[in-house]
Amino acid sequence: MSENSETSRLYDLIGRLSRLCGTSGDEGDVREFIKTQLPADCEVSTDSIGNLIVFRKGSKTPKNKIMFCAHMDEVGFIITDIVSDGRLKFAPVGGISPSVVFGRRVVLKSGRVGVIAAKPIHHLHGDDDDKQPKIEDLSIDIGAADKEEAEKLAERGEYCYFDGAYEEFGEGFIKGKALDDRVGCAIMLMMLNGELPYDTWFVFTVQEEIGTRGAACAAYNVKPDIAVVLETTTACDIPGSEEEKTVCRLGSGVVVSFMDRSTIYDRELYRLGRDAAEKAGVKHQTKSLVAGGNDSGALHKAVGGIRTMALSVPTRYLHSPACVMKKEDTQATLAAARAVIDRLAVL
Amino acid sequence: MNITDILEKLCGAAGVSGAEDDAAKAAAEILRNYTDDVRIDASGCVYGFVGSRDNGKPAVLLEAHIDEIGFIVTHIDEKGFLKVGNCGGTDRRLYAAQSVTVHTESGDIRGVISTLPPHVRKDDKSTMKTEDVCIDIGYTSRESAAKVVSPGDRVTIDTPLAKLNGTRVTAKATDDRAGAAAVLYALELVKGKNIPYNIEILLASQEEVGTRGAAIGAYNVSAKTALATDTSFAYTSDDKHEDCGEMGKGVMIGISPILDRTVTAELKKLAADGKIPFQPEIMGGRTGTDADVISLTKGGIRTGLLSIPIKYMHTPVEVVDTEDILAVSRLMAAFVTGGAENV
Repeated sequence: MSENSETSRLYDLIGRLSRLCGTSGDEGDVREFIKTQLPADCEVSTDSIGNLIVFRKGSKTPKNKIMFCAHMDEVGFIITDIVSDGRLKFAPVGGISPSVVFGRRVVLKSGRVGVIAAKPIHHLHGDDDDKQPKIEDLSIDIGAADKEEAEKLAERGEYCYFDGAYEEFGEGFIKGKALDDRVGCAIMLMMLNGELPYDTWFVFTVQEEIGTRGAACAAYNVKPDIAVVLETTTACDIPGSEEEKTVCRLGSGVVVSFMDRSTIYDRELYRLGRDAAEKAGVKHQTKSLVAGGNDSGALHKAVGGIRTMALSVPTRYLHSPACVMKKEDTQATLAAARAVIDRLAVL
Repeated sequence: MNITDILEKLCGAAGVSGAEDDAAKAAAEILRNYTDDVRIDASGCVYGFVGSRDNGKPAVLLEAHIDEIGFIVTHIDEKGFLKVGNCGGTDRRLYAAQSVTVHTESGDIRGVISTLPPHVRKDDKSTMKTEDVCIDIGYTSRESAAKVVSPGDRVTIDTPLAKLNGTRVTAKATDDRAGAAAVLYALELVKGKNIPYNIEILLASQEEVGTRGAAIGAYNVSAKTALATDTSFAYTSDDKHEDCGEMGKGVMIGISPILDRTVTAELKKLAADGKIPFQPEIMGGRTGTDADVISLTKGGIRTGLLSIPIKYMHTPVEVVDTEDILAVSRLMAAFVTGGAENV
């Protein structure tokens, strides 16, 4: 595959994965799509919690069993109740700020469109427009006139999604919903469909957003020696943020983490990741603040301890309908993931 | 075109106050299905004249505003982010991480309203201030961004029309493209009919910044009687019944000291006779619509106000019921096809 066609294949995958709807507990559509993108020469299974576990033989057998990992689920909503005026009450699935919920269009699992808002600013009093409405005070309007009508159109327990168009914009940027962590899934699919130097396991996990639950089962089911988590991480390189709280920057390459709120990463692997990226000519950076967390938190403590590293794409506005990334960072993360396999295999 | 098609086309066009061009052109194009006498003036107002300017018949003005709320670019920062001011009453509760379109001279570009992540934000309980809004357009320097964007460019939060349950739809800018759609569809309803009036159309600019276009536009028409149409509040369970109309219950007929009593009475009678669903909207003084200034133009134009119930006004997810819009069209059609005593 030429470099150009590989790049266009990567963004085609990211776009298609971003548009799929799969919140924690509802990853089925994402899993089925990923299955259609796998090469013929791999072993595929789905474990009981829903993780998609893929093994593919490489040119050689590694000394260490290596597992790459990205999560399929995204943040979203679940319908909790249908109230008298025909609107739907809901709870967030995963961590969502109320400020990115108000004034949004959403899509129910059934495909039905809804909107989230409240009484207009014209009817707020005093400094009420300084106050961000809480999620529990909001509801989804699907155009039902009353409760009876709404009950025919939606059901309690139904999942609901941000309506965030995937598109490229600016000078090489992309935006869309669910880039956390469909980008990691796309990177693993690129690796699976390319040349593998060593036998490698790839796990597409479930339920990361509600507490890295799928990864806990995946670790037990695969029992790798080394895990590499492919993720997104908060970039705060935007106006209004102080320098020391920037965390990482778009355009500065793959993020190799030494610590976040869930994991103190294996020191040798952290150095190996930076060194492998450097030697491969891949732009890299680290997180300058201990923030966020990912499947590493479950993996590194599992089955008697798995040596774990995380490679992340710096991302603005995580857990919103418009996550923003720079394309070159995504490519850098794919290149870094490929670059570490040789080293990890013989560590 | 049916009412939903008209509304979709109008809402899909950009027309932030003072830069109504695209919306005005979209409306003018539909208007030309009914008359060749169409023009757009320097202020962005769209005019149409249906009938004949020399047949001696009196004219009735059908009016709605064509502008929408939005932002205006004021500054490009050194990293290529855009600072903005608001055009009209934007809702601060929905700024964070909204996808936006910047309408530049060389075309539309996409962006996102930049928002600080939880570890940096002071709290989740306060809304963002407009002066803190920065639009991320995916550029990395002022130099490169300035090649594309200029101060004065307008910004909209783009949500094209989507159907909700039944006859309800959601879109940005239904305030007041729903009114404009009602006016245009009224022309469809009276097409080919022999009517006792000429019909003048005004789709006014700059309502959202203080009913400015209507002050210009109402001066430029000949009608001595006007029906203005705008959107008004529909009840939701977090609001007060006494402050709202009801969605799906028909046209809201304005009753206010600033509105003409005989026109208002006639509208109520026509609605009742024609079995057009209607509900009264009582206001103690000014209506907050173009009716306020039309009624004072050129020594006074007798003005009635017809409103369309809308939920979530001034958000990109406004909701209207197309049956309510049709009720406005039908009542306007009934008014202009009625006897000379209406004018």
